[in-house]
Amino acid sequence: MSDTISFLREINLWSVILRLIMALFFGGLIGMERGSRHKAAGFRTYMLVCLGAALTMLLGQYQSEMLDVYWIECANVTGMRTDVTRFSAQVINGIGFLGAGTIIVTEHQAVKGLTTAAALWASACMGLVIGAGYYECVFLGFVLIFFCVRILNPIETHLIEKSRNMNLYIEFESMDDVRAIAACLREYSIHIYDIDLEHGKKEEYRYPSAVFTLRLNDKRSHAGIIAALFKLEHIKLIEEV
Amino acid sequence: MITLFMPLRGFSIAALCVRMVLAFICGGLVGIEREYKRRPAGFRTHILICMGAAMTTLTSQYLYLEMNYQTDMARLGAQVIAGIGFIGAGTIIVTRRQRIKGLTTAAGLWATAIIGLSLGAGFYEGGLLATILILTVELLLSKIGYLVQEYNPELNIYVEYQDRMCLERVVQALQNKNIRVLNMEVMRATSSERHSASTIFLLRRHKNISVDDLLSAITKIEGVATAEEL
Repeated sequence: MSDTISFLREINLWSVILRLIMALFFGGLIGMERGSRHKAAGFRTYMLVCLGAALTMLLGQYQSEMLDVYWIECANVTGMRTDVTRFSAQVINGIGFLGAGTIIVTEHQAVKGLTTAAALWASACMGLVIGAGYYECVFLGFVLIFFCVRILNPIETHLIEKSRNMNLYIEFESMDDVRAIAACLREYSIHIYDIDLEHGKKEEYRYPSAVFTLRLNDKRSHAGIIAALFKLEHIKLIEEV
Repeated sequence: MITLFMPLRGFSIAALCVRMVLAFICGGLVGIEREYKRRPAGFRTHILICMGAAMTTLTSQYLYLEMNYQTDMARLGAQVIAGIGFIGAGTIIVTRRQRIKGLTTAAGLWATAIIGLSLGAGFYEGGLLATILILTVELLLSKIGYLVQEYNPELNIYVEYQDRMCLERVVQALQNKNIRVLNMEVMRATSSERHSASTIFLLRRHKNISVDDLLSAITKIEGVATAEEL
């Protein structure tokens, strides 16, 4: 048993096959969970990223292994060896860039796609671990990442729902309406921390807008507050951000 | 490691040809599937990136092993991994409805670049196996992607009202059915005769209520003009 494991820790055809399939499988499992929530990155994205990351690690090990056996003369002549992790170090960078592309700021000042970027990056890191053949860490890491995307997601939405802090993006007809909105919020004993106002542009048919940072003193459903605010006249659009 | 490939790990003309042609073929194979689905990066893009990546590892091995320069063989190739991350980020687009597209294409391009690196470095086992695995996933399992979406617990619903006061009734009705509203966006129509306001709800669906039942229940509420799934 321990012979098999130490055999698979070395670089040979079987360990390469095993690691690449593992990368595909674990990457796919994380992606399956994320993909089922209508998120941008489907499970194929996670598979590709995880597989690519594992391959970089294997490539580094392959070159190092070849230097030890077949190219040993060259290493002796130049006195230079290769760095096993040089390829895979760039994965951490490269997937960071890729993730940056998934983060968007909507026109209503909400930030989206951060979790996708983080999950993609984490699965790339898991690919590196798989490629390195550090199997114990793979299983632990996978269980924890999966726990994070699967179990913690409902907890997070529950927390957001029950949170007494809330941000509202509101578009209205003119600046005078801010006072009416503030009065309405005060009626529900909601404390306004901050109002981020933006003057609209008449020529572009953009209404003035504001992001309200609120604190709820009583327990209320966020949807109920939005519905109540929408009864005010002159309000064009409300979104929780 | 497969000993059959041993002569091809050197720098003979034959080895050079095999590495470059394999990079060409593997890049093309991954790309054809993308092309077929009419995604922005076609198979020529994939071939160019795969061959470019293969050339970097080939060159750095040549400099080190043949010319005996004091360098790290992995230095050139390592930058490809970060560099293609940049190109990939450029293929990602944000649509008007704030959806992200092109992420799988970006990931595919990135994986192709790494296959190119492996083939260029003479790591045939890794490069070929990764190509086969990617093709298997893309061709055979792409159907699973659609299956997975069926189980989506989150639901987007678009509701139009004649009378904006009825938003409270809709929210109340959803709460009575124990359906969680994850997010909502309410808008007033500027110039429409059919409705005066509309809302996009993001809901968490439950198992014991079907989408059709939910939509018809919402439509029945007084003042609601239409309710549609997005």
